[in-house]
Amino acid sequence: MSEQVSQLLESLREKAGKGDLLYIGENIVRVDSLEKVLGKPVYTADLIPKGTVYAKLFHSSIPHGVIKHMELGAAKSQPGVLGVLTWRDIPGLNESSAILPDRQLYADSIVRSTADILGAVVAETLPAAADAVGRIKVDYERLPAIFDPLEALKPDAIKLHPKGNIARQMRIRKGNVEEGFAKSDIVFEKTYRTQFQDATPLEPEMGLAIPEDGGMKVIGSMQSPHHTQAAVAKVLKLPPEKVRVIQAVTGGAFGPKSDETPFDVCSTAALAAMKYRRPVFCGLDREESMVMHTKRHPFVITHKTGVTSDGMLVADESKIVGDTGAYASLGVFVIVRATFHTVGAYEVPNVKADSFLVYTDNTYTGSLRGFGGPQAVFAIESQMEELARKLGMDPLEFRLKNMLVPGKRNATNALMDASCGLPQCVEKVVASSDYRRKAPLYGKQRGGLRRGLGIALLMHGNSLGPEGNDYGAVHMEILSDGTVSVGTGLTEYGTGAISGMMQVASSVLGVPLARFKLERPDTSKHRESGPTVASRVVVIGGNASMLAAQKLKAKLVPLAAGMLKAGEDEVSIADGVAFIRKRPSASVKWDDLVAEAYRRGLSLKEDGFFMAPAAPWDTEVGQGTPYVQYTWGALIAEVEVDTETGFYKVLGVHAAYDVGRAVNPGGVLGQSYGGTVQGLGYAMMEELLHKDGQVVNPNLGDYYIPTSMDIPAEFKAFIVEVPGPLGPFGAKIIAEPPIVLPGPAIRNAVLNAVGVSVDDLPVTSEKVLMGASKAARPSR
Amino acid sequence: MTKRVVTINVNGTEHSVQVNPLDRLIDVLRDELGAKSVKEGCGTGDCGICAILVDGKLVNSCLMLAAQCDGRRVLTLEGLLGDPTMKRVQESFVVNNAAQCGFCTPAMLMASWDLARHSANPTTDEIKVAISGILCRCTGYYQIIDSVHQACGESKR
Repeated sequence: MSEQVSQLLESLREKAGKGDLLYIGENIVRVDSLEKVLGKPVYTADLIPKGTVYAKLFHSSIPHGVIKHMELGAAKSQPGVLGVLTWRDIPGLNESSAILPDRQLYADSIVRSTADILGAVVAETLPAAADAVGRIKVDYERLPAIFDPLEALKPDAIKLHPKGNIARQMRIRKGNVEEGFAKSDIVFEKTYRTQFQDATPLEPEMGLAIPEDGGMKVIGSMQSPHHTQAAVAKVLKLPPEKVRVIQAVTGGAFGPKSDETPFDVCSTAALAAMKYRRPVFCGLDREESMVMHTKRHPFVITHKTGVTSDGMLVADESKIVGDTGAYASLGVFVIVRATFHTVGAYEVPNVKADSFLVYTDNTYTGSLRGFGGPQAVFAIESQMEELARKLGMDPLEFRLKNMLVPGKRNATNALMDASCGLPQCVEKVVASSDYRRKAPLYGKQRGGLRRGLGIALLMHGNSLGPEGNDYGAVHMEILSDGTVSVGTGLTEYGTGAISGMMQVASSVLGVPLARFKLERPDTSKHRESGPTVASRVVVIGGNASMLAAQKLKAKLVPLAAGMLKAGEDEVSIADGVAFIRKRPSASVKWDDLVAEAYRRGLSLKEDGFFMAPAAPWDTEVGQGTPYVQYTWGALIAEVEVDTETGFYKVLGVHAAYDVGRAVNPGGVLGQSYGGTVQGLGYAMMEELLHKDGQVVNPNLGDYYIPTSMDIPAEFKAFIVEVPGPLGPFGAKIIAEPPIVLPGPAIRNAVLNAVGVSVDDLPVTSEKVLMGASKAARPSR
Repeated sequence: MTKRVVTINVNGTEHSVQVNPLDRLIDVLRDELGAKSVKEGCGTGDCGICAILVDGKLVNSCLMLAAQCDGRRVLTLEGLLGDPTMKRVQESFVVNNAAQCGFCTPAMLMASWDLARHSANPTTDEIKVAISGILCRCTGYYQIIDSVHQACGESKR
């Protein structure tokens, strides 16, 4: 981090007044919990006004081809149908893309996947719209399709996009792997594969557009309202300020709602509202959502790793191929994060990585919690386990020898400083799981039910880093009744991060969070704050919030000092009371202080803006400091496998995350539990299946996510606090990381229980049984 | 299709509503009777977040027709806002961080209330079973289970 920025942060922390920070580390009541437990009508579909009409999207039925003719007459003449929108109805740009302009809102000629939208029927009721969609006939000229990214990479493959099939390439060159392999005693190569995962926010994507004074108001379920505003404005050919986007309370997001689907539903609603001058609702049902929104990329990752006989990693060469489906979406950054994390939480002196984000005719993939981390870490942690077995070493000892600690360097050659809390995380889970006693015992098991322990370690880069400028703006106003009103373009969609961000301000101001209220994110009121992704709200938004609060405090403390006839530096504000520190009985209540400020005409309205320092790296060799700080973690899973059936249970999970400073510990644990269970789904059962480009299980009856019956009986979650340089009071990010480790830890636990390596996620009982019978055969 | 009038007792009040034979209960509750706490997550009976009580039984309102409810008693979260047991469950959800995105919360509260009124000190396994028909993607269920324990007056797991 630059000297200037670290000085700024340091002075902020000092100014914040360490003694006054009552609320950091306190379990808070979230600002949004009341409306949720009262079942208030706050989600997009709850806000549909009378007189609203419904837009229903229709899609390509083939994975690759040219549209020859669309027969819309029968649909248009159905009762209740206002009309059918296609690309011809778009006044502006026919584009619905996050980064690369490779995706149209409505396909005009070529379709590249069964998720491609051809248009929308607009009708008085949803059933009428759905019925009309069923009457649309489309003739296509089929083109050959590619569903395997390795096929798409071949030089003679047909081109799916004009520029070819590689959407993004990335590499790392650290040291010299050939020399490293020459020095190694064992060189081992293996390939690992991961599957499509669906994020499954329980509320699918929703958009509601209402025409208003010469422009359009759009209310929707989304992560990034300003990006949606830009996308809708482009389609409508309106200046962005004529499109007002408000984020409704959002029922889960997990990444896809920061990607392109919110653009699709909001642009469609807005387009129809503009054409028919009526409020229009465009909401996806579960099946549409699972087909259309971005999934987790399937990856094929090959590691070739060299290690000395005493267990020191020397070199690692990896080839990383991600299937982005028909479009790149935010996948162009997913592949970058995966590449930077290719050797995970270990020091490897020589690293070579080549990664490819590849187009196919599958439905497209993109942003999803973890953002390339789960795939990369599954591969390297599986490879670590295989290497430990080759070496005949305990997998924990092997990891302890090679893991990152202060003074070591990661794959990008960034030097780990004192903020690396990985050793403390490992210590917690090793003790909690009783690893050292159990691991040797489990190695000697016989019989039908066998137990195993599996470990995985985490390094997770914080800040957007390579993905763009990382900034946030927070508007803060103290109202005349003493309420602190907070507005920001950053959004809440379930994690509690916005409350954490406000908790920082509450601590700086010395006023309980109960006195705060959150405005709904609204592009007409709140400054653009970048996308709400990468778990960055508490860290980046928290700093902006701290700055705004600090400015307000700089007005209130002198005022209080005047009222109390004391010096400014003698006065503190805590728990809603300003007082003289040496004589706490000399005090003025927050409400009276604010009232006095209003009497004197003091403006109590301030903005805070924070931008993370640059994270420079050399794109040619993938070396540098692409992240400003890291979250660290360790997880040990204990499983019991039935060798007769392959069925296995996760008996216990022990997880520790170094979050720098837990602003709201209950919230941190909530992320640890929730992310881990979502990761358990990824590890054990979740797989969105494609057959010839069609999603075959786009419903929650055939695509399983964990229920309350699937969670481990024992879950020990630990918070480690080794302050980082970036976040307020040392905070590091936490929402994404917990989804990463369950996959490899469970895979490794099964391996240690029954000797079966499952190298492709999910680790199903069927794969365990097949592996077990294969392993058993030679001995018979 | 011809509409017919059905009489449904929703949250203690009799409502006569005109429905088509195929109108789903969830739509009538949300669109005609203002019970917006009832959420739709799948429409196929898999996610359970539209769960309500019909004649005291927890059901998915997306799988039930409004016409089937003629003469029956329907209870949604709106009807329990003054109930002391529900209040205890809600408070417990708040302090235990059991509502993250909040979309499954009304259904979780209904299932938890249904358990709490029948069972004074449910075990963790009983709680898991009671909420097993309702998916939550945010919490991993642990803090919900803690909340139900606490609301039922028992120590945490």
